[in-house]
Amino acid sequence: MFLEIDKKVKNKIAIKDSDNQQITYGEIIEFANLFWDKVGERALLFVLNRNTVGAAAGYLGATINRIVPLMLGASMNQELLEELIRIYHPKYLWKPVEMVTEGEPRLLEQYGYVLVETGLTPYPMYEELSLLLTTSGSTGSPKLVRHSYANLEAQARNISAFFELDAAERPMLDLPINYTMGLSVLNSHLYSGATVLLTSFNVLNPGYWEYFKREEATSFTNVPYSYEILKKLRFFRMNLPSLKLITQGGGKLNEELQREFAEYAEQTGRRFILTYGQTEGSARMAYLPAEYAKEKYGCIGKAIPNGRLYLIDEDGNEITEPDVIGEMVYEGPNVTLGYAQSGEDLLLGDERHGLLPTGDMAKKDADGFFYIVGRKKRFLKLCGYRVGLDECENIIKGAFDVECACVGDDRCMQIYVNSRQDMDAVRRYIADKTGINSSAFQVHYIEALPRNEAGKVLYSQLV
Amino acid sequence: MDNLEKYNNIFCELFALPEGFDPEIVKLNETGDWDSVGHMSLITALEDTFDIMMETEDILGFMSYREGIEILKKYGVEV
Repeated sequence: MFLEIDKKVKNKIAIKDSDNQQITYGEIIEFANLFWDKVGERALLFVLNRNTVGAAAGYLGATINRIVPLMLGASMNQELLEELIRIYHPKYLWKPVEMVTEGEPRLLEQYGYVLVETGLTPYPMYEELSLLLTTSGSTGSPKLVRHSYANLEAQARNISAFFELDAAERPMLDLPINYTMGLSVLNSHLYSGATVLLTSFNVLNPGYWEYFKREEATSFTNVPYSYEILKKLRFFRMNLPSLKLITQGGGKLNEELQREFAEYAEQTGRRFILTYGQTEGSARMAYLPAEYAKEKYGCIGKAIPNGRLYLIDEDGNEITEPDVIGEMVYEGPNVTLGYAQSGEDLLLGDERHGLLPTGDMAKKDADGFFYIVGRKKRFLKLCGYRVGLDECENIIKGAFDVECACVGDDRCMQIYVNSRQDMDAVRRYIADKTGINSSAFQVHYIEALPRNEAGKVLYSQLV
Repeated sequence: MDNLEKYNNIFCELFALPEGFDPEIVKLNETGDWDSVGHMSLITALEDTFDIMMETEDILGFMSYREGIEILKKYGVEV
């Protein structure tokens, strides 16, 4: 069975949430049976996630029965949701009871969630397709990442191996489970027979810390910007005796924060593990073992168990000597099948065959540890969310009559427009569209964008 | 500039509020950019402006313009 859920202690709590709901391993199986009674076919299901037991139960009830979920945030832009429904024709939706409209027939209602049928004509799906996730929740791209069943099993097994997880773990999970890293925490801990502490609170809610302490959380996972918040919150002075493991993902942590958290972890006898990953690689692909956290700054470590990382030059040849920059390539069983951009694409098989060029430029040191130095693809990770630069240009050009070019780094996107009067509105608009704080965007006036003879924007001249 | 002006200016600048905004409706996660990122900018600006260092419980408890005024009193800042 999926994640070997049937081999766990039946009456042990598998998932709790901060709304005081819970589900045991045995109840997951009972719920999955009930879910099958109502659906009874392999179909596409959209899960509108609120990081509660209800959302997780829907995901598990589907996956155990080979019903394919697309995980989405319940608070996502309504237009984008409608567009996704139009493109992919889900047969069912699993959504919070508050979101059900009057007159919608309820096939099943449990844990604050409701199963409804859309009446749309489904597309045929590849038999090994297990799960769909969005590539970029924020810019609203309808492009999806197609996962196989083997991807999810490999993810759960490999991640639980390098984090050394066991059934005593109680991870705080505030990262949304419609986000690859959040879902990987859920899968790897269920595989380990642990108790997952889901929450819709974040570290800035007093409720988060009450829940953390009351439930005696043993680990939590943060993205670079939440590390900055933790530091500001005087995290180093908090009394959290249950905490044993601190993990990081979602973009590169700056070296000063790495140093401070590594020192804190060493002084307090905790493990601090940095990781590197992408949705396309079912979350994690590399990790820096805790014993190196204080030694190798700005380093993503080595490939996870059962994976392989290497660098290639511009001709595609593997680079073997140290300290030479090349594109990082990952090979492993967690490499996803490929993308879907239309309903027909759900029938596509494995297009990657376990090989993923990451789009990240990196170098390797003499000990075989990898360091990311740049990116080949045009995207940023703002506040932990991947934001495509070309997509942002299109969003802005679609709403304003301007020329526009987006560049920048993971701290701030720099937007160049050729209209002074629209500068402030552009900033507000893109923050609103992406759902990211407007302080992550700076807008600059430029008379004309630098272009080459072919008319392509010369981004290097904008930085 | 008195403390009230300083306090108001921080809110105006960070959250793009108009001058003479209604203080009763300025709240965390409700007012425009006052989300978790905006909150960190706000705390940093207040600490720099009033030369204080806030405790965790006060950073977490600072959930509205009004509550902020009460919290700053603990640090000897009368707004």
